[in-house]
Amino acid sequence: MAQQQSMFDKYGGFSVVSKIVLDLYERLLDDDDLGPFFDDVEFARIVDHQTKFVSSVMGGPASYTDVQIQKLHSHLPISDAHFDKLALMLTQVLQDHGVEDEDAQEVVGAFAQRRGLVVND
Amino acid sequence: MSIEAINEQLLRAIGVGVALLDTSELKFRFFNDTFKEWFAEIETGQQLRDVFPDIDTAEVIRALQETGQFTSEASFRIRRRMMTIAMTINPALEGNQKVAVLVCQNISRIKELESMIDSYSMMVERNTREIKREKEQVEKLLLNMMPRSVYEEYKTFGVVTPRTYENVAVLCLDFSGFSATVEQQDAGVIVSELNDIYTAFDRIGDQFGCERIKTVGDLYITVAGMPDPSDRSIQSVSDAAVRFVRYLENRNKSHPVDWNCRIGLAAGSVIGSVVGVQKYIYDVFGPAVADAMRLREAAGAMEIVAAADFAERFGEAHETEAAGSGALADGTAVELVRVLSGNGSLSH
Repeated sequence: MAQQQSMFDKYGGFSVVSKIVLDLYERLLDDDDLGPFFDDVEFARIVDHQTKFVSSVMGGPASYTDVQIQKLHSHLPISDAHFDKLALMLTQVLQDHGVEDEDAQEVVGAFAQRRGLVVND
Repeated sequence: MSIEAINEQLLRAIGVGVALLDTSELKFRFFNDTFKEWFAEIETGQQLRDVFPDIDTAEVIRALQETGQFTSEASFRIRRRMMTIAMTINPALEGNQKVAVLVCQNISRIKELESMIDSYSMMVERNTREIKREKEQVEKLLLNMMPRSVYEEYKTFGVVTPRTYENVAVLCLDFSGFSATVEQQDAGVIVSELNDIYTAFDRIGDQFGCERIKTVGDLYITVAGMPDPSDRSIQSVSDAAVRFVRYLENRNKSHPVDWNCRIGLAAGSVIGSVVGVQKYIYDVFGPAVADAMRLREAAGAMEIVAAADFAERFGEAHETEAAGSGALADGTAVELVRVLSGNGSLSH
């Protein structure tokens, strides 16, 4: 039986995922609500983390444990409204990069599953 | 519009930060729009170190005088974004005054990509190491199931061609009273004891040039002379058989469970192949294996039985005694001998 191709391979691997993530963070930084969360964060580092996370969500290499995700966000006063806005922006970015609706929903769904680990406020 | 005016407009509009400095005090005399965009607070007349506090101005002046150029990198934050620029300062002349041209290129994206590439290379290396480790484990398992040369063939071609090997010596061993022992002992004890004994047999066999082919419960089969032919295959299995008996005799003295083996030895042709597709196993079968199995049945506890002509072929290496007549697997009648282990414990 042929193995089902992962989303990661389907959309072109790391080079494409990193472009999506870079684009997402460009938009996040320009956003007045979400931008301030990244005031003290090294851009390259966070893009690197997020690219690996999105890659693993799409069935590619690298993986993140819930504990790691919780640790990375524990010091930030992130509210449900912030999270909702991020989900919206992520959906938009994925669509803009040609990710099909069904696949985009899966990626956003993987983020949504971790809402409890990220929202603190 | 004059050429100078066009030049100035161009200089203002390009995506590279350009500024003019006087070389004596390194004060800004001009900067274009891109430069102003990056350093919003800048004014003409300010010094270079007001904008780049980490830069050693004495070093800049020295470099301009000695090599005619100064290069460096600087990182700073612009509205939430960390920006890195590569700067070059070159001296130039404007009328009678000495000025230097400062050119700044935005290399933030290059830096980000570099750090991502580093991070991915590390991840790829880690994954490669894990794959290598897994591959080694698989190889170890497969080498436990088949000879290395067969494994190499399997690895290269994905199949193993069945082959007939001539002049292979076979040792078949089982334990007398095995069923009774299994009933009396806990399953865990039996498995651990067999594991212990088979490991010792493997080690002994290896020492004498034998290759263990398989174990099925209490049946243990090892061969010599395949896949590489050997003139000493009969000698090898006979030596191993004698050492197996001696090992068990010594072991029984200090262990609660007694293990009494029966060994049949034979030589001839065998076929070796990987059998099965999903659960493949390297197996040998053929006349020599069938004969060794049959002769093992003729052996009593702690006895090694072989056909007389087999025993003749290992010469004086081991003492033998007549064991009556018997039959090979195909019904051929043969004279049998017991191969004595030389421990003085084979008296009848």
